[in-house]
Amino acid sequence: MVTSTRTVEDRVLEALTAVMDPEIPTCSIVDLGMVERIEVTDAGIDVELLPTFIGCPAKDVIGEDAERAVTAAADGASVRVGPPKPVVVPLLSRSGIACPYCGSGDTAMESAFGPTPCRAAHFCRSCRNAFEGFKEK
Amino acid sequence: MPDPRVALLLSLADDELVIGHRHSEWTGWAPHLEEDLAFSSIAQDEIAHARLLYELAEPLMGKGADELALGRGPDDYRHAVICERSNGDWGYTVARQYLYDTADDVRLDALEGSSFKELADAVRTIRLEERYHLEHARLWFGRLAQGPMQAREKLARGLEQAIPEAMAIFEALPEDGELLEAGVQPRSSEELLGVWLERLGADLESVSLDYVLTRHSPVGDLVPTSSGEADTGPTLEVPGVERRDGRWVHVGGFAGAGGRRGKHTADFTALWEEMTGLYRAMPGATW
Repeated sequence: MVTSTRTVEDRVLEALTAVMDPEIPTCSIVDLGMVERIEVTDAGIDVELLPTFIGCPAKDVIGEDAERAVTAAADGASVRVGPPKPVVVPLLSRSGIACPYCGSGDTAMESAFGPTPCRAAHFCRSCRNAFEGFKEK
Repeated sequence: MPDPRVALLLSLADDELVIGHRHSEWTGWAPHLEEDLAFSSIAQDEIAHARLLYELAEPLMGKGADELALGRGPDDYRHAVICERSNGDWGYTVARQYLYDTADDVRLDALEGSSFKELADAVRTIRLEERYHLEHARLWFGRLAQGPMQAREKLARGLEQAIPEAMAIFEALPEDGELLEAGVQPRSSEELLGVWLERLGADLESVSLDYVLTRHSPVGDLVPTSSGEADTGPTLEVPGVERRDGRWVHVGGFAGAGGRRGKHTADFTALWEEMTGLYRAMPGATW
């Protein structure tokens, strides 16, 4: 039944939208582009997540959080993180990204290495604030 | 007959694990905060790449990734000796990271075409992250090479010390022939060394540091393996590099070779003791 399948997928996606990255609590794993696949079959619901970086230390916690959220929303779901594969995670571009403080585009990526593997350090030449951005992959 | 793919996976994974461990030693000690973060982050990536590669070896060996990474004796590791060297000063650190990551790029580029599909896929993912390491290496190579005289001299000394052992990243595995035949390794180690040397020579010429290619530090201190076998054979030769027809080529010999057969230095003994200490004290412990 096409309609009911669609509904389950919607419920699962909605549940995943509420799962936040523990290292960036304002970003959901859906915003981060980590949800690779939601497959609903007679056998159950299979959700595949992709880590942003292979060495993401939060991926186990994210997997557990996602599993809890998805099973609460739909019975019989299983969640798998990875395996990582070549994929372009739609992260933001590297320089000229809008400054979150003043909105200026006159910004530059100062260092590709920020506080987590997926984040880089940027600097706004206009208001002279440092801020973080996701790495392009 | 062991699967020859195991030897290749272990050599790649051990390189990443051991150099990742060395990079992690800069955490808290690098010359400034950005570099502290950079080396910590690169270390995190390299160790994660090692884990991914050990996981490919799991079904072939019937052992888990943790056991492969931490449960072997020091002479069962197959990394190149350059990876285990102590960090030394900033000049050596920059030289080694530049040499290792450019060499790694050459071999990973070839492995994208491997007939071992899982490995080719893993390599494509790994390279998306490695390009940040390459950028970092090139940035610092240029910064020191074109910086004040003291920086340039320290980089040159680091390169002189590291280049002979960096060449041994391309020391052929005993399984090279089989791997080539099966298309697991699309190009021979010697061929890859040629590609890398040509690029290295061009980079060094662009900053007038190519003289380091013909200067060699004394090679030594390879320790015998636990079997007591002391290696005094051709592996301790000074490597030959020459400029022919406008490019730098390898004409024979490796310094510090033997890593691919489990021969390491006293630097590795100390690293191994620290890296595997917890695992040996509490085998099978989980977090």
